[in-house]
Amino acid sequence: MFRTITSLTIIFLAAVLLTSCGTRTEAQRQCNIKVGIVFDIGGKNDRSFNAAAWDGVRRAEEDLNICLYDVEPGNPVSIEPAMRAFAERNFDLIIGVGFAQGPIMQRVADDYPNIKFAIVDGVIFEADGKTPKKNVASLVFREHEGSYLVGMIAASKSKSGVLGFVGGMDIPLIHKFETGYEEGARSVNPNIKVIDNYVGVTDAAWNNPGKGKELALSQINQGADVIFTAAGNSGLGAFDAVEQYGKNESGEANKFVIGVDSNQNGVKPGFVLTSMVKRVDNAVFDVVKEVVDGKFQGGFHVFGLDKDGVAYAMDDNNKALIPDDVINKVEQSKERIVSGEIKVTDAMAK
Amino acid sequence: MSDFLSFALVSSLIFSSIRFATPLIFAALGGMFSERSGVINIALEGLMLAGAFTAAVATYELSNPYLGLICGVGAGAVMAAVYAVSVIKFEADQVVAGFAINFLMMGLPQMISGAVYDSSGSTPQIDKAFLLPQFFNQISISSIFALALVPLCWYVLYKTPFGLRLRATGENPSAADAAGVKVPNLRYAAVIISGALAAAGGAYLSIGQSSLFTRGMTAGRGFIALAALILAKWRPVPVLLACLFFGFTEALTIPLAGIRLESGETIPVQFVQIIPYVLTIIVLAGFIGLSRAPKALGIPYSKEK
Repeated sequence: MFRTITSLTIIFLAAVLLTSCGTRTEAQRQCNIKVGIVFDIGGKNDRSFNAAAWDGVRRAEEDLNICLYDVEPGNPVSIEPAMRAFAERNFDLIIGVGFAQGPIMQRVADDYPNIKFAIVDGVIFEADGKTPKKNVASLVFREHEGSYLVGMIAASKSKSGVLGFVGGMDIPLIHKFETGYEEGARSVNPNIKVIDNYVGVTDAAWNNPGKGKELALSQINQGADVIFTAAGNSGLGAFDAVEQYGKNESGEANKFVIGVDSNQNGVKPGFVLTSMVKRVDNAVFDVVKEVVDGKFQGGFHVFGLDKDGVAYAMDDNNKALIPDDVINKVEQSKERIVSGEIKVTDAMAK
Repeated sequence: MSDFLSFALVSSLIFSSIRFATPLIFAALGGMFSERSGVINIALEGLMLAGAFTAAVATYELSNPYLGLICGVGAGAVMAAVYAVSVIKFEADQVVAGFAINFLMMGLPQMISGAVYDSSGSTPQIDKAFLLPQFFNQISISSIFALALVPLCWYVLYKTPFGLRLRATGENPSAADAAGVKVPNLRYAAVIISGALAAAGGAYLSIGQSSLFTRGMTAGRGFIALAALILAKWRPVPVLLACLFFGFTEALTIPLAGIRLESGETIPVQFVQIIPYVLTIIVLAGFIGLSRAPKALGIPYSKEK
C-alpha cells in the first residue's frame, strides 16, 4: 500500500509541477483595463470560433493598451473557477466564449454585480428570466442569415445536386446554421438534397476530427460535392476529406468545403468554397472598446448581415471559384434579408 | 430504404468500418500483450494520446510521417515504461496507476502544446503531403499495418518461446518463475510493447486519419479497445473481429443519422449514436459466454510470497 501511494504521489506531483509551469507570468505594466477571456473547449487555435474571439482581444490588446489574460479550460468543470479567479482579482471585463458558459456566467455575474461580463453566443437574464442582465453584454449572431447566403453559393456550385452539412455537437445553436443553409440552398435549387450529420451529443464532438472526416467522406459517397461544417476542430476533418479528392484537369477542386466562424478560405486554398464568417472578433473588440471608453452597455447585442456581424468570406483564395452572377444574386438576397423581405427561419426562435 | 443499401454505400460502410477499427486494433493488440502477461492496462487511452500528440508534433516539425510515427511509438513506450515501473517495481494498484497515466495524458499534451504553439487546444495542421499515405482514397497504410499485425501477434503469442512465457506468466507466475522465466522482465517487455502499439493507434488518429492533434482526440477509443479485448477473450484473431465489429457499429451510425422516415421525420441523432453502446452491452452480456481473464491478471508478483 505504501508503495502504491508513493508511486502515485510521484506521478501526480509530476503532473502538477508540469501544469503549473504553464502559467504565464507577465511583467507588471500600466494598462487601461484588465480583460480576462475564458475560451471554449476547442481552445484558441481552432482556426474557427475561438480563434476569432482571440483575434478580437489581441487587436484590443494592441490598439487599446489593455492587460489581457486568457484561459483555455481543459474540461467544462474548469470554466467556472477560471471565471471566478478573474472576478476575484477585480478584472474590468470578463469575456466567456461559447454557449456552454451561459449557465456558469449567470451564477458568476450574480455574485459580482460590479464587474462587467460579456458572453459570446449566450444570453444572460436577471433573476426574473425576462430582462437582460445589466452587467452582462450578451453577444449573439444571426448565424442563419449568413448560412442562408453560403447555402445559395453551395447550391450554385454543386453539380450533383447533393450538399452536406457536418455539425459539431447536436444543439439548437448549430441547427441555426443547418436550417439557414438548407433554406438558402433551396432558394437556388428547390430539389436539392442536403445530408446532415452531427459529430456527437457531448462537448467531445468539437474535438474529434477523425469522426468529422468520416462524416464528410460518407456524405461524399452519397453524392455530396459541397460540405458546410460548423464543428470546431472536428470540422477540420472535413477539410482533409475534400482535399483527398484532389483537383480536376482544369485545376479546380472536385469537392468543396465551406468554413465557419473565422475566414477559413486559406486553410486548404482551392478546396474552400467560402466561409460563413461570424465576426466574433469585431464583437469582442467592440465590447472591450466600450469598456475602455466607459460606454459599456449590458443586454443583447445582435449581429446580423446588416452590421456585417455575419458574412460570407471572399478573398484571393476563392475569388476564382465563385462566378460574378452568383455573387450578384447572393448580394441581392442579402439586401432582401436585411430589409426583411426574405425571412430566414431561426431554429432557436420559439 | 433502397438507396440505403446501394453498392456505393455498402462499400463505403466497409471502408469506414476498417478506418474506425484501425486505432482500436492497435490498442487492443497492445492491451493483449500487457494483460496476457498479467498486467491490467487501463492506460490504453492515455498511451494512445501520447502517441497521437507526439506523432503530430514530430511530423509537423520534421515533415516526415514515418519519423513522426516512430517518435509517437517511442513516446508510448516511454509512458508505458513509467507505468510499468510503478506497477511492477512498486506494485501500485494497476487500475489506479493506469488512470493516473490517463489523467496525465489528458493534461500534458495541452501544456506542451500551449508552451510551444501558444495554443493548448490543438497543434498546427500538417500539410497533406506529410501525412501517412492513403491507398485508393480509402485505406491508410496504418490500416494495412494493423491488419498485418494480427497474424504477427498470433504467431508471437502462440508459436514463440516469448509468447509461451508471456502466457505462462499471466496464468501462473510462480510456476513460470520456477521454470526459469524472469517474471518482472517479461512483464516490463509486455507493458512496453503494449504502449508502443497503443501509441501507433493514436498516431493513426493524428497523422493518418486527421492532420492535427486536438485535446482528448481519442474520445474514449482506448476504453473501447479494452472492451474489444475482453469481448475477444484476450485472443488476437477475435480481437480483430471485435474491433471490426465496433468499427462497423460506429460506421453504421453515419448513414443512419441522415435518413428520413416515410413520415418525413428524421431519427433523433441521440438514438442513432447510442447504437454502438447498446450493441456492446448486448454482445457483452448475451453472446460471448464466460469471459475468462488470465488468472494472474492484476496481481503483482514478488518472489517472497
